[in-house]
Amino acid sequence: MKYEPVSDEIIRSERVDFAYEKIRLSNGLTVLVAPMKGYRTANAAYATAFGSVDQRFVLDGEEISLPAGVAHFLEHKMFESEEGDAFDRYAETGANANAYTGFERTCYVFGASDRVDESLDILLDTVSHPWFTEATVAKEQGIIGQEIRMYEDSPDWRLMFSVFDCLYFNCPLKQDIAGSVESIAKITPQLLYTCTRAFYNPSNMVLAVAGNITRDQVLAALGRADLPQGGAAVQKLPASEPEQIRERGATVEMAVSRPVLGLGFKERPRPAAERLRWEIMADLLGELLIGDITPLYRRLYDEGLVNSGFSTDVFIGEGYFCILFSGETRDPGAVRAALLDEIARLRREGIRQEDFELCRNLLYGEAVGGFESAESVAGALASLALRGEDLFAELELLATLTVEDLEGALKELLDEGRSATVLLRPAQSEDNGGCGCEKSEGEA
Amino acid sequence: MQRRELRGGAALTALPAEQFKTSRITINFILPSKRETATAFALLPNLLERCYAGCPDMTRLSRKLAALYGAALSADSSVQGENRVVTISVCGIRDQYALAGEPLSAEYADILFGTAFEPCIEQGSFDPAQVEIERQKLREQLEGEINNKRAYCVQQARRRFFGDAAAGIERNGYLGDLDRIDGRALAAAYDEMVRTARIEVLVLGADPQQVEARLLEHLDKIERAPAAMRPAVAMPPRPAETYREPVDAVQGKLCLMFTTGRPLSGQELDWMRLAGALLGGLPSSRLFRNVRERQSLCYYCACSYSQLTGALCIDSGIEPKNAQRAQQAILKELADLAGGPISEQELREAKTSYLGALGSVGDSLSSIEAWAFREILRGTFKTPQEVAGAIEATGAQEIRAVLSLFSLSVSYLLEGRGNPDEV
Repeated sequence: MKYEPVSDEIIRSERVDFAYEKIRLSNGLTVLVAPMKGYRTANAAYATAFGSVDQRFVLDGEEISLPAGVAHFLEHKMFESEEGDAFDRYAETGANANAYTGFERTCYVFGASDRVDESLDILLDTVSHPWFTEATVAKEQGIIGQEIRMYEDSPDWRLMFSVFDCLYFNCPLKQDIAGSVESIAKITPQLLYTCTRAFYNPSNMVLAVAGNITRDQVLAALGRADLPQGGAAVQKLPASEPEQIRERGATVEMAVSRPVLGLGFKERPRPAAERLRWEIMADLLGELLIGDITPLYRRLYDEGLVNSGFSTDVFIGEGYFCILFSGETRDPGAVRAALLDEIARLRREGIRQEDFELCRNLLYGEAVGGFESAESVAGALASLALRGEDLFAELELLATLTVEDLEGALKELLDEGRSATVLLRPAQSEDNGGCGCEKSEGEA
Repeated sequence: MQRRELRGGAALTALPAEQFKTSRITINFILPSKRETATAFALLPNLLERCYAGCPDMTRLSRKLAALYGAALSADSSVQGENRVVTISVCGIRDQYALAGEPLSAEYADILFGTAFEPCIEQGSFDPAQVEIERQKLREQLEGEINNKRAYCVQQARRRFFGDAAAGIERNGYLGDLDRIDGRALAAAYDEMVRTARIEVLVLGADPQQVEARLLEHLDKIERAPAAMRPAVAMPPRPAETYREPVDAVQGKLCLMFTTGRPLSGQELDWMRLAGALLGGLPSSRLFRNVRERQSLCYYCACSYSQLTGALCIDSGIEPKNAQRAQQAILKELADLAGGPISEQELREAKTSYLGALGSVGDSLSSIEAWAFREILRGTFKTPQEVAGAIEATGAQEIRAVLSLFSLSVSYLLEGRGNPDEV
């Protein structure tokens, strides 16, 4: 075999009666295999620790700066090769393939109930052999330009990036994952090759496969694959970011029927080893403050100030940690004030044990539900491995966290002085007053 | 799939789900869709989901569900052809995964049957204060449909396509009717539902015998007069109509609605599954490959077919300046597939992909349930394996035969302002 296992361990959780194998290969690749009895489909996720926030790095002693959107652009382009489109190859095996880019990772996935070995070959081959030309890059700029415009019409997307823009001075989190039409116009084939050399090498990647699969199948596919050897020495350079926020708030007009409030808190970034714990504690605080078990949610719901779509989202990674409360409301000022009051009350009066246990159970149940689908297991395995965590870390943290832990976290988080408020306001346009459609008869 | 017809116009279907960490029980109430009760039935699930007699407070119910490890209770309303379907479902982790080994399954059934059969109705009315709160939420939802431009464009096209036909009755009801819906009207809608609806219960990972006993216990207390499910329909063909609606958005949306003129039946339904995959259901489909990838005329372009209404919907996200070209390209792909050659390789690949998707139906509770309920509504009761056999036997001639039945009825363009630099 070309790539020998240098370490191999079985990781098991009795809590959810689940096990998977973690293998480290001689070329640096981390391989995770989770056979799931009774499943017909195998799902694979091949991921690299290269996301939209990775815009500066040193490669072979040279500092490289990227325009926004390169990781996402690469995600699109990796499906092409000189021989054709990877989708054409997947069409022959019947696999359902896709890819996605986040702030810190890019992930290539497929699900297949038949001819899994061939689909694994396609996945490993596609992601290992980049091929870019001036013409194909130019064509992709057009397609991604349309994708960017589609997201510009999404209220949630606009709100989220507007909040990040208020909170951060330099952190690339504030830039759309896909970049902008202007930034992607700067992308060249050479730049893409530089990025694949830096990030698309085994030591920076994880292959996770779950469902109807065996360890031998995965290792055999890796034995057939022609992966890049070892890893280029790449060092990410995080943007320097002051502690304070950039702006207290902003108002954005767009075609929405009701105002949408975003209240974001810029938290102190945490070391990699602590991030999952802080993420879970922030999620729990969101539930304790304005989850649907709380009197605050009930009051705002009954007063017509929030609906069931009001949410808490947590974003945490290298150089950033943000907690965002958002949702539609007819009175953004009242909801913002109520939320800040509740944070102060909870800090003052403490967290009730009963409330803590309810929220803990709620998140625990969601985590158990995550083991239901091979697709979500493969995605979580890859994503957590890139963060240096194992699949059961969330369950264990939830089972062992205490009220005191959470009260300690609350002392450090959700400081109004480090918050920004964004309001999406319905555009004052005659287009929004109902259907202004025109009809023309005849053959279209 | 084990299906048992029970007394009182109800049936229970037990579906295999032993490999999963969660269990799920769903009750579907199916009754003829009517314009005059559409808004009441859109609102009713919101009242049912809030509380029930055994747990008569919304926050208490939320806390009860949270204690059960975030068990999910949902009540929803949909329109399936000429049927209104009210669906109440509960899903939660299995007993053995509870942190302290506490029993959970019996509680799930209590909550589900409480929600479905013991609503908080007093003296013939839901609580007026709660009704007002939920009415306002629905009002906001109806007023806010423009927020999701893709769904809004499809909805507008459907409205023009169905006109006043029963199959086009709005799932979420009508703004103009909202003020007339009070607690009594909702209680009357509830009574009509439990009295006249066909009831289909689906059980995944729970004990079907216990569920059956609980169901019959409730049904025996009701004087039932279940109505038959309404069969599939199709809109008649007509000259195509084109609509344009300006909207303050960057990207445009285009939705085309086609009709077969008659409901598809028998083998045609299986042919249509594969035809839809070839046309716009896969990344290798003609619409994706040719309209998006080769011509770069849209960001997305996909099709969906509804057996219960005979409607084919193709929707896409486009640059407004390309709207005309995109429509022509979409129509050309449909015409080429309906009248032109289909290579052996293309057909084989579409079959392989479709069979792969069929193979994965059994890998999640939601897809198992969705498959079973769709087959129940269609009255075909086929398993994925049976459909796989029919897909294998489908050839290019059958694809052409079924696609040539479609004619364009409505083209709806949501005309965004586009990229200012390119105007």
